[in-house]
Amino acid sequence: MREKRSRGLTDAQTGILLILPGLAVFIAVILFPFIDAIRISFTDKSMLFPDWEYVALENYMEVFRDPYFGKTMLTTAVFVLGGTLLPFILGFIWAILLNQGFKGSELLRGITLVNWIIPGIAIGFLWSWIFNGQYGVLNGVLKALGGEGNTPWLGQTSTALLCVIIARTWQMLPWYMAFLLGGLQGVSVEQIEAARIDGAGNWKCFTRIVVPSMKNIIILILAMGLVGNLQHFDLPWTMAQGGPARATTTLSLEVYNTAFKNWDMGKAATIGTIWAILLACFSIVYLKQVRDSD
Amino acid sequence: MFQKNTGFRVFFWVSLILIGTFVFFPLLWMINTALKPTAETFSLDFFTGPKTFDNFIHILTDAKIMGYLKNSLIVSFGSSLMATVVCSLAGYSFAKFRYKGRKFVMGMFMMSQAFPQAILLLSIYGIMQKLGLLGSYWSLLISYVVFTLPVGTWTLKSYFDQIPDALIESAKIDGANHFQIMTKVVFPLAVPGMVTIAIYGFVWSWNDLLYSMTLVTDNARRTLASGLVMTFLGMGSTNWGYMMASSIIAAIPVTIIFVFLQRYFIQGLTSGAVKG
Repeated sequence: MREKRSRGLTDAQTGILLILPGLAVFIAVILFPFIDAIRISFTDKSMLFPDWEYVALENYMEVFRDPYFGKTMLTTAVFVLGGTLLPFILGFIWAILLNQGFKGSELLRGITLVNWIIPGIAIGFLWSWIFNGQYGVLNGVLKALGGEGNTPWLGQTSTALLCVIIARTWQMLPWYMAFLLGGLQGVSVEQIEAARIDGAGNWKCFTRIVVPSMKNIIILILAMGLVGNLQHFDLPWTMAQGGPARATTTLSLEVYNTAFKNWDMGKAATIGTIWAILLACFSIVYLKQVRDSD
Repeated sequence: MFQKNTGFRVFFWVSLILIGTFVFFPLLWMINTALKPTAETFSLDFFTGPKTFDNFIHILTDAKIMGYLKNSLIVSFGSSLMATVVCSLAGYSFAKFRYKGRKFVMGMFMMSQAFPQAILLLSIYGIMQKLGLLGSYWSLLISYVVFTLPVGTWTLKSYFDQIPDALIESAKIDGANHFQIMTKVVFPLAVPGMVTIAIYGFVWSWNDLLYSMTLVTDNARRTLASGLVMTFLGMGSTNWGYMMASSIIAAIPVTIIFVFLQRYFIQGLTSGAVKG
């Protein structure tokens, strides 16, 4: 009797009670806003006028007719792919080097991670400075090497997006490195020894043993990286505010600008909804991977 | 792991120098610029010329920027604390309790990372406006918990999973109630995980630009990230010395936390995410 009273709630009730705060936040800040945003995408809501009405698919028609929308999608695709693959490849090489366990490799790993931990705006400021058209160190070095040294790297449409991708690569390389180092430490040494006896060289060991045994983690971080880049806002914004001539306007900047610069909530919600569908596709891959590796 | 033949040696040294330069040079250049006197900002001297702390002093005595710094500290500590509590409760619930809808809620939490933040902002902006919270710390505190929710819940769940059920059962037999089991038996065993999530939440909130730029319209409540963007972007002439010094100041708190708690952070992050 005493025992029963002291417990009060059943196990199931306690479990549900514990989940309530998280669930409340989830509903308030994610689920409800998301559904609400889809609803707004069917309205002509604007922050400039109090009145609004449902306009069916008009926003969607407008977005697809918008000649800039295709360009935004392309910019996003280039940023997402470049900003994922480049840091992944460099992070993988960096992880392999640090995994050699030479003197000071632990320290290098630690310092590398600082790049990832610092605020995006600091990274944006830093790379804007490096790429500065007049006084940037990149131009300075090029000039010292005999070049013209006055390229406005962030100010011309041909290189602006590349600059942002390079900054993003610098920021994310440590993150890939951390996961891949963990993965490398799980690769079976015996298997490699065996392959080596069979005459396999380094490259063969890498492609036939190391990569396959890290398959799960590689797919996982690539999926997470893609989702992260689809969401990314800080660097294109701080470095170029989406310009010049929309060269660095990715979907997240486009939604932000449409909503909070032009105050066209209906259209912003429409672009956001299309974007959400894209993200959902990647997330399914990610979730499936998480479930498989469980 | 790899044979140290000539090919590998070449690959090793070339990559070490090239990637090493790419990884380490920019931050050094940032420090280098911040330490130069204004007249020397544009020189290519690399730690060789005259040095001064003028840029740092200028930023540290700027009342507006120090206000942003204070706001960032309040918001980041607050949201980190909130996120750790919320994620601990949820992670414990997922790990040790069985009830209807558990799997479904777990899936939803996991997905929350994938909802586009910018689109959520459209509605959150409207909601906060209606609640009268727009521009207050609360709008950010509540929103930031979401950054931590998926990773935090999963990481802590994997910690709680490792706690043997027998331990909980024996506490029950000793007459402990659910609250006592949680606070006296289960949570102390997951402290490393909680520290990880607290750091994670702090760093996310500290670094966020999008939410703080949108939800805080009042200059007095701005956090450092959006405050610095407002201060420096769109200025006619840019003072790169000030910008680099303020970037370093913005980077220092998260770097210090990271240096001291690196072990927790890397382990927790990778194990939580990989184990799922």
